[in-house]
Amino acid sequence: MAMLSFERNYRVRGGTLVGGDLFDFWVGPFYVGFFGLTTVFFTVLGVFLILWGAAIGPTWNLWRINIAPPDLSVGLGLAPLAAGGLWQLITICAVGAFVSWALRQAEIARKLGMGLHVSWAFSAAVFAYVTLVVFRPVLLGAWGHGFPYGIFSHLDWVSNTGYQYLHFHYNPAHMIAVTFFFTNCLALAMHGSLILSVTNPKKGEHVKMSEHENVFFRDLVGYSIGALGIHRLGVFLAMSAAIWSAICIVISGPLWTRGWPEWWSWWLNLPIWR
Amino acid sequence: MNRMRGIGALALVGSVLLLGGCEIGQKEAQQTGFRGTGMVNFQDKSVLDARFDSVAALIPAALPASPAPTPGPLPWKNVQVLTDVSVPELTRTMIAMSTWVAGTGNCAYCHNLGDLSADTSAQGDTLWTKVVARRMLQMVRDINANYEGHVANTGVTCYTCHLGKPIPNGIWTYTNVNQLERYYLDRNAVRVQSHAIPASNDNRSSAKQTEWTYALMIQMSNALGVSCNHCHNSRAFWSWEEAPPQRAKALLGAQMIRHVNTEYMGPLAPMFPAVRKGAMGDAPKAQCRTCHNGTYKPLYGYPMAKDYPALWGRPAWNGQPFPAIPVDTVVAMR
Repeated sequence: MAMLSFERNYRVRGGTLVGGDLFDFWVGPFYVGFFGLTTVFFTVLGVFLILWGAAIGPTWNLWRINIAPPDLSVGLGLAPLAAGGLWQLITICAVGAFVSWALRQAEIARKLGMGLHVSWAFSAAVFAYVTLVVFRPVLLGAWGHGFPYGIFSHLDWVSNTGYQYLHFHYNPAHMIAVTFFFTNCLALAMHGSLILSVTNPKKGEHVKMSEHENVFFRDLVGYSIGALGIHRLGVFLAMSAAIWSAICIVISGPLWTRGWPEWWSWWLNLPIWR
Repeated sequence: MNRMRGIGALALVGSVLLLGGCEIGQKEAQQTGFRGTGMVNFQDKSVLDARFDSVAALIPAALPASPAPTPGPLPWKNVQVLTDVSVPELTRTMIAMSTWVAGTGNCAYCHNLGDLSADTSAQGDTLWTKVVARRMLQMVRDINANYEGHVANTGVTCYTCHLGKPIPNGIWTYTNVNQLERYYLDRNAVRVQSHAIPASNDNRSSAKQTEWTYALMIQMSNALGVSCNHCHNSRAFWSWEEAPPQRAKALLGAQMIRHVNTEYMGPLAPMFPAVRKGAMGDAPKAQCRTCHNGTYKPLYGYPMAKDYPALWGRPAWNGQPFPAIPVDTVVAMR
């Protein structure tokens, strides 16, 4: 693939976390590095294992392929491949690939002398996934508490796991996470539309800059968060959404077994009006 | 930096407050469906143990076993139900019943102390408590004999519902035409879900009917202290194939409650005094909560019935044969 004329200037040595110079090279536009290799390794192996799971399963219907975790009776041990073992190996591959990807982001950022914000932001999503399939099952003492890999099957898991607590929307951390997701949408829609509005003026008008952006929102709601502030807010909202998602599932089971609506009895039981 | 510290402190205090509402004991999980479907029932072991202990602490200890029956004619004049147990076993059962329902030693709650066999008081009034209790004895024996699929080898005694007091929890009487509890008597129309994809016009269930079903199901969930998954795979609430066996048990339980309400409670309306009847003059009736009291097994499965053969209604309990009165006594009674 072609390289842009200035791109070569940024292809500098160093910044690696593991492997020194050994993997410090590019393939086409892609930086490789040690974690590029591990990403590819885990991804290829994981996809192969998913295909294997599909092949020994009852269907090739894309919606219904299901690779389920072991029975609860297996606990935190190893399961036979066809009875949850594949799920365990695929989970290892997924975690390996996601973590490798975050570390590859970190290596590239170091190489370019940038902050590690992208790695950290992506790590929030990885953290939510690892919480779902590793931390929570470990806290509950069985891999079987992880969710299955399959389009319909993971939705069924979500449905049943929600009903285990009668009404999952009463989970306080779920409330906070959902609020962050929606606020994230709102902020991104406002920011995206604002940028498009200043960069797409009428014919004959100049492209507008920060002054216009700020004035627009000051006129509209009396306050503009500013060009840097909106990105700080965006990262905060997005990472909070992922982290509170992790919290809302990890407390369901390890810290609460009854219906989530019942959790709110602490409010009714406050000493001031009990 | 100070601001960051302030935010950190706030987050810490907030987390502690949130955790304050949580259960921190060891958890028990029971898988009730295919792996990975999320068909799991959770219990906090310490919470469960504490509840079990609080229930078990109140359960009256079984009375000492009665001595072997002596052959000879039975002295009864008006015994109509417990005709198959010996004299000491009947007496023992009566004493236990007083503790379970009326208050220990309170024979006068049901009986005319001047003539224990009478169905009327010294003033000649009908002893409605005695007549009702007699019918309830028949009901308990019916349940233990014919609903083994629901009560298993735990069985029920008077105490299962009465919990040591005359009026059990969760009894209901008629209120209005939309009453949920009518399901425990004569109302069907629970099944509101369409099975077909896409849904057809064959299903005419309204949103109101659906809400009625939902409310009834939540009432059952509260009565047993379980979540929806105890009986259903939420992927398809209607599907019996994907449902745990508990759902069949629950359906049998509902049929049992209907039987109880139509055959036993309902017809007793003329016997109850006005104060025990509903606003429309009907007898008090049972529902799931009447026995279950918020637990998935009444009394957490504490096996009381095995110690009281008079309540069995079947010839053996867990292989232990019924200690009936000797044959020659039966003959003598005839």
